[in-house]
Amino acid sequence: MSHQVLLRVDKLEVVYHRTITAVQGISLEAKAGQIVAILGTNGAGKSTTLRALSGFLGIDDARVTDGTVTLNGRRIENRPPDEITRLGIALVPERDKVFPNLTVAENLATPFAPSARRRGAGEDFVYHAFPQLADLRHGTAGLLSGGERQMLAIGSALLCRPQLLLVDELSLGLAPAVVDDLMERLVQIRRELGITMIVVEQNAAAALDVADYGYVLENGRCVLDGDSARLRAHGDIQEFYLGQAQGNERRSYRTVKQYRRSRRWYG
Amino acid sequence: MQLVINIVVLAAIYALIACGYVLIYRVSRVLNLAHGELMMLGAYLLLTTATSFSRNAFVAITAAIVLSLVVGILVYVLLMRKMVGEMVLAAVLATVALGILLRGLMVLVWSAQQQYPGQALGLTNPALALPGGGRISTFAAAIVTATAAVYGGLFLFLQFGRWGVRMRAVGQNPLLAAQRGINLHAVYALAWGLSTLTGSVAGMLIALDSGLTDSMAVIGLKAFPAALVGGLDSLLGALAGALIVGAAEVLSIQYIDPLLSDVVPFLVLIAALVMRPWGLFGTREELDRV
Amino acid sequence: MFRSTPRASGYFRTGYAQDLALIQTRSEAAALTAFTLTLAAYPFLATAFYLDLACQVFLAAIGALSLMLLTGYAGQVSLGHAGLLAAGAFTAGILFREFNAPFWVTLPAAATIGAGLGVIFGLPSLRLRGLYLAVSTLALYFVVAYLGGEYESTRGFSTGIMIDAPKIGGIGLKNPRAWYFVLLAAAALTFLLCANLLRSRTGRAWGAIRARETVAEALGISIAGYKLLAFVISSAMAAFAGALFAYYRGFVSVEAFSLFLSIQYVAMIIVGGMGSLLGALLGAVFVTLLPYAIEAALMKLPHAQSYAGSLFAIDYSAFGLVMIGFLVFEPLGLVGVWRRLQNYFLLWPFKYRPTTGAR
Repeated sequence: MSHQVLLRVDKLEVVYHRTITAVQGISLEAKAGQIVAILGTNGAGKSTTLRALSGFLGIDDARVTDGTVTLNGRRIENRPPDEITRLGIALVPERDKVFPNLTVAENLATPFAPSARRRGAGEDFVYHAFPQLADLRHGTAGLLSGGERQMLAIGSALLCRPQLLLVDELSLGLAPAVVDDLMERLVQIRRELGITMIVVEQNAAAALDVADYGYVLENGRCVLDGDSARLRAHGDIQEFYLGQAQGNERRSYRTVKQYRRSRRWYG
Repeated sequence: MQLVINIVVLAAIYALIACGYVLIYRVSRVLNLAHGELMMLGAYLLLTTATSFSRNAFVAITAAIVLSLVVGILVYVLLMRKMVGEMVLAAVLATVALGILLRGLMVLVWSAQQQYPGQALGLTNPALALPGGGRISTFAAAIVTATAAVYGGLFLFLQFGRWGVRMRAVGQNPLLAAQRGINLHAVYALAWGLSTLTGSVAGMLIALDSGLTDSMAVIGLKAFPAALVGGLDSLLGALAGALIVGAAEVLSIQYIDPLLSDVVPFLVLIAALVMRPWGLFGTREELDRV
Repeated sequence: MFRSTPRASGYFRTGYAQDLALIQTRSEAAALTAFTLTLAAYPFLATAFYLDLACQVFLAAIGALSLMLLTGYAGQVSLGHAGLLAAGAFTAGILFREFNAPFWVTLPAAATIGAGLGVIFGLPSLRLRGLYLAVSTLALYFVVAYLGGEYESTRGFSTGIMIDAPKIGGIGLKNPRAWYFVLLAAAALTFLLCANLLRSRTGRAWGAIRARETVAEALGISIAGYKLLAFVISSAMAAFAGALFAYYRGFVSVEAFSLFLSIQYVAMIIVGGMGSLLGALLGAVFVTLLPYAIEAALMKLPHAQSYAGSLFAIDYSAFGLVMIGFLVFEPLGLVGVWRRLQNYFLLWPFKYRPTTGAR
């Protein structure tokens, strides 16, 4: 695992409908081969950040109005989604993640990767990483269960031969055992293919189990970041995201509402 | 027996034209109401290549086909690409306007007279006798064969070809397809090119069979009910719809009133819209995608 | 049309009547007076050719206003408008030819037939929307055109039906200036009717249906009723315009009501600007005068005579090109251009209106 920075986001600002600022000055970094987790509750700006990375903002009348997103030194903000996919970033979306009227095999045939990167993992790798899909090869994708659909979505994204995989809310609507299984396979894929991943999750426990580094977002700002061990040990994270009470001391309202911030991140 | 042959020939014509409507609708949800005029343009292109290559019919026809593919792609790149993302209705009105523009230009370039590309190519159109006592002209038989070939080819391409699967994917969910790295503009241009190509083949064969007249655009418009009755996003539906509309038209001309020929397809259309708007084989959700 | 803020400062509305008034500022009143005086003086200054142009514009305006009500305000797409015009014209022609009916019978009859036909055209709208609705109106247009053609051929009028000018007290209406004022009155009345409809409950219901049908239904607006009402009113007006057209030209034939005519009316509301009565008027003026403008321009070019034969094709192509141009570059139409112009002067030296809720 090298320490070269693959993706750098610098003071990103995203505005919806020219009036609502969903993301206010977020900076983050993904080093090659890392799994980075972005945590936060609803409305924190996680999905918006991910959409800014994958070129999806136009659909919701949103724009990156400030800050930069650089992939391997090349700026990619406000570009169309197919261009970004061809540059090496693939997204596993939160909703609408497969083509429901096509079969599993056809779903896996649709991704298009430029020939320069079309080496290595092919459909065989996907069937090897997700053996259930191999059995369902000719089944209609719309009839798959939630977990199988998620596997198909990850597989399709992998077939875009990305350098960076963005996973949006993997755990939504899935049983905990299925979530753990999927997370493990993500780690396995990272081990075998060396792909960098950014995982956006509400389920902080599952995310921190597999991530190397994490960012916590709230109200469009990054309030905390650090490697996953530190985050898991952090009192506030334990209390607000992991559901573990902090000792016996009573806390006043004022202290509860303040985060003890560690060092600020500078680009 | 002759009645059956007439129905088959008319259905083949309508089917060959209808698959052009279906291709574009399936991939981009746009109804190409300029298809009739593009069909005519194909026939006029054949006229031009026929006068240039008058000794070699094969070269003339191939050249005209290639030209029509280019025309289709150009129509997308120069006009329809700008309507991507706008309301579907605006895109449809743009095709209507395109049809009018093309019609005017065709009259300006080639004049409104009836033309006979078959004569320019030195091809004759003898009637063939069929078992059972019916007769069919050579080019009408060519139309039936061409329709079968085109449908077979399209079906294989869309079902099994990699880009065929991608075209279907774009038709279902353009956003997800873009996420998977597919260049939407390329797929749309391909759809327009293929649609214009099939329409032009129809136009050329009709012109070779019975001459190039103004009424060809009307035939193009009459084929649209065939596409809708079967389901605007289904090739199989286009075949079925063409058979239904063709049969209705031929039978009503024979048994009710010859003047009905231009109106019967639209009566069938109205009946279909009343009973089953999404067509025999179309996907039901199509109805709400306005 | 019913602006939330007046376009001039110093006007404060203190009651609902002021909210709904058609003329709201002094400059609007002044503009209207000037316009009325121009319209009244026009026939005394113009030649017969220009009088005919103006009459054509008025007839087109009635049709365009009716289509604007249906498509621009109620949101029901119709590509079959020529069918309704034809129905009105044929009603007038048939009643005149078969029964020698006077105009004060044929005109209301035409409107009634139009209304009835409007119900038929409107029935698909209860199940279909957008593209499919447009297609259904297209199909119905072909049926109407077929019926007209059938009548012509079975009754022997293969070249069309001749109609005498309407007679009042035995005197036929033939003077071009008289026709100008009659048609001007008809167009003005239609405009007032539309404006009043739009500021009434009906207009609000249509706006709601066009914006979000399910929400409108949830608010208790009868979707089916108002959709049909839109079709009925629009068709009655269109048929009335068709009958007037028949009397003006003295002649009815099914070729005059081609699909191209339907598209011309759709172009009028697009070029003018959807959702605005002013747009309907501007569009009617633009589309009606376009072929004449092209002809005048062509006559100025050298070798003018060689183009004369292909004038129709040139008109056709130019029309298609203009329609494409507006669809691609100016989807808000002439009204959009006008509003941008107004905003430029109103907002100067600022460039943009402030958006509400900005950070």
